[in-house]
Amino acid sequence: MSLRWWRLAARNLLRHRRRTALTGSIVVVGFVATTMTAGFVAQTFRSLAEVTIRGLGGQLRIVNPDALGKTDEEAMGLLLDDWEGLARIAREDPNVVQAMPRLTFFGLAVKGEKSAAYLGTGTVPALEKRASLTADSVASGSFFADPRADDVMLGGGLARAIGAGPGDLVTVMTTTPDGGLNAVDANVTAVLRYPIKEVDDRLLFLTYESAARLLKAEGKASAVVVLLRDGADLETAASGLRERLARAGRRASVKTWLDSAAFYKQVQLLYAAIFLFTGLVLATVVVLAAANTMTMAVFERTREIGTLLAIGTDRRDVRRLFLAEGAILGVGGSLLGGAASLLLRAALNAARLPLPPPPGGTVGGVLHVDLIPLAYLIGFALMTATLLAASWWPARRAARLDPVKALAHV
Amino acid sequence: MLVRVAGLSRIYTSGEERVVGIEGATFDVAAGELAVLEGPSGSGKTTLLNLLGLLDTPDAGTLVLDGVDTAGLDDRGRARFRRERLGFVFQAHQLVPVLSAEENVALALWIRGLPEAECRARAREALAAVGLADQAGRRPDALSGGQRQRVAVARAIVGRPALVLADEPTASLDSETGRRLLDLFEELHTQRGTAFLFSSHDPAIVARAHRRLRLRDGRVVEDVRLGPSTGPAAPSPGAAPGGAGA
Repeated sequence: MSLRWWRLAARNLLRHRRRTALTGSIVVVGFVATTMTAGFVAQTFRSLAEVTIRGLGGQLRIVNPDALGKTDEEAMGLLLDDWEGLARIAREDPNVVQAMPRLTFFGLAVKGEKSAAYLGTGTVPALEKRASLTADSVASGSFFADPRADDVMLGGGLARAIGAGPGDLVTVMTTTPDGGLNAVDANVTAVLRYPIKEVDDRLLFLTYESAARLLKAEGKASAVVVLLRDGADLETAASGLRERLARAGRRASVKTWLDSAAFYKQVQLLYAAIFLFTGLVLATVVVLAAANTMTMAVFERTREIGTLLAIGTDRRDVRRLFLAEGAILGVGGSLLGGAASLLLRAALNAARLPLPPPPGGTVGGVLHVDLIPLAYLIGFALMTATLLAASWWPARRAARLDPVKALAHV
Repeated sequence: MLVRVAGLSRIYTSGEERVVGIEGATFDVAAGELAVLEGPSGSGKTTLLNLLGLLDTPDAGTLVLDGVDTAGLDDRGRARFRRERLGFVFQAHQLVPVLSAEENVALALWIRGLPEAECRARAREALAAVGLADQAGRRPDALSGGQRQRVAVARAIVGRPALVLADEPTASLDSETGRRLLDLFEELHTQRGTAFLFSSHDPAIVARAHRRLRLRDGRVVEDVRLGPSTGPAAPSPGAAPGGAGA
C-alpha cells in the first residue's frame, strides 16, 4: 500500500481526535498491562527460582540412581558412598563453585514431653552457609559454628511445635538405613524462618558429622549438591558432570534443580495461566473497543466510502485504508504504551512497595518489575495484531459496500 | 459512439412490489455531447446515471461504453473502467474532508497508481481549469458550496475522461452558483471536448444543455436536440420523436 493511503489513514484518525485518543489509550493500557504483568511475573519466577536453588543448596544434585522414584523412606537407605570423591569430580568443572554432601533423614524431634515430626538435613556448615538460604534464615540464635558438634537448627514452625529455642537441648530421633533406632541430644543453636511455611514447620539441620554418626553413615551422602557460578549453563554443566562421573566409573545420577522443583513448576504454571487469562481479557477489551471505533468510522464515512468506490477505487484499497487506520492505532498506541511502561516501571521500582509472602511463603518481599524486552515485543505484536483483527470486519464491510447505497446513505 | 444503450432496464423488487427504475431505455450519446437527463423525481434519472456509470448492473439490455460491452466486466473491471474512463460529479460535492482541494482532485489519479508529482501537477492544472488555482491547499470545510462543487468537477475531469456523469450537480447550489457551474461544464465541454451527461429537473439548467433526454416513470419519452453540439443526436428507437428546439 502506498504512502498516500497511510497518510490518508492517519489524517482520518486525527480528524476524530477524541475517539482516536480513547481507543489509543485502551491500547496503551493494554500494552502497559502486558509488559508490567510480564515484568512482575518474571521477577517472581526469578525470585522463586533463586529461593528454590538456594533451598536445595545448588543447581545440581548427584544422587544414587537406585533412589530415583523411591519414597523418602525407601530412598533414605540408598546413599552415595565416598561423597568427597564425587565432590572432587564435580569441582573439575571451573563453573562449579562448590560441592557439598547432604544427608536426608526424618524422625521425631523431642523436647521434654513435646515431640514433632521433622525432615532433617545433615550438612557441612561452611559449605551450607555459602550455598543456601539457611544462614540468611536465622531468626534467633546463630548459625552452626563447630562442624563436629552435635548442634541443631530448627525451622520456626518446628521450634514452636516442641517449644524449643536457642540454647535448648533437643533429642533428635531417627531410623538408621539398616533399620535401627538411634538418637542424638543436640544443642539448638538457631531457629530459622524459612520462606515456605510447609518446610518451615518440619525443617531441621544437623551438622554433617553429627548426622552421619546418627545414621551410622560416615563418608556417605543422600546427595552431593553442586553450586554453579552465576550465569553458568545448567544443562551444559549437568551433561559435563554426567560424562566425568561415567569416565570415573561412578554409578550416580545427576539431576538439575528443575527436576526436583515441583513447587516452582506449579507456581510457574499457575502464573502462566493467570498471565494468559489476563492477556485474553485485555485482548478482548481492546478488540471490542477498536472494533467499535472502526465500525463507527465506517458508518460515519459511508458516503465517503461510496464516493471512493464510485470514482473507481479498488475495493482492496478501501479495505487496506481501514486496516491501515487500525495498524496506526496499534503501532502508535504500542509506542506510547512502551514509553508509559518504562516510566511506570521506574516509578514502581523506586517506590519499593512491600509485597505479601508468595504462595506457601512466610516472608514478603518488595515489588520489583523486571524489564523484559521480549514482553515489549510481544506487547507490540499483540496490540498491533489485535487492532488489525478488530479492524478486519469493519474494513471488509467498508470494502463490500454497494456504492449506490453508500452514496445515498444519510 | 461514446455511449450506446439498447433496451436497458433496471427493476427493483420490494417484497412482492415491482418498482421500475428504468425500463427499455435506448439511446446513443456521441463523444463531446453536453446532454441532460430531465424528469421529475422518481422518473429514473439517478438510476440511469448509476447504470451508465457502472455503479449498478442492469437487469436487461445492452450498455456499450467507449466501445466496451460492459456486460463482460466483473466488479474489478467495472471499477477500473470507472477510474480510467469516467468522471463523476455528485449531487453533494462528496469530497474527502481530510484532504485539501488539490489532494481531492489528485485522488482520482492516485487510485490509478500514477506518480505523486504527476498527480499533483495535473490536479493543480484541473483546479486552474475550474478557477480554483488559489484554493488548492484549502480543505473542503474552508470552501464555499460552489467552490466545493468546482473541486468535485476538477476531480471528475482530471483524469481526462471521455464522459462525465453528473447527478443533479446544481441541486445543492443557489441559482447563481448553479448557473456558473453550468458555464464551467460548457467551457470544459468546448475546450476539452469532454461529453457531459447530467441530470436535472431545473428548467433553467435544462435550457443550457445541447441535448435533452426526458424521462418519465422509468422510460425515455423524449430525445430532443436543443442547441449546438459536436455531433447529431443519435436516433433513439426507444424514445418518442423529438425535435430541434431552443
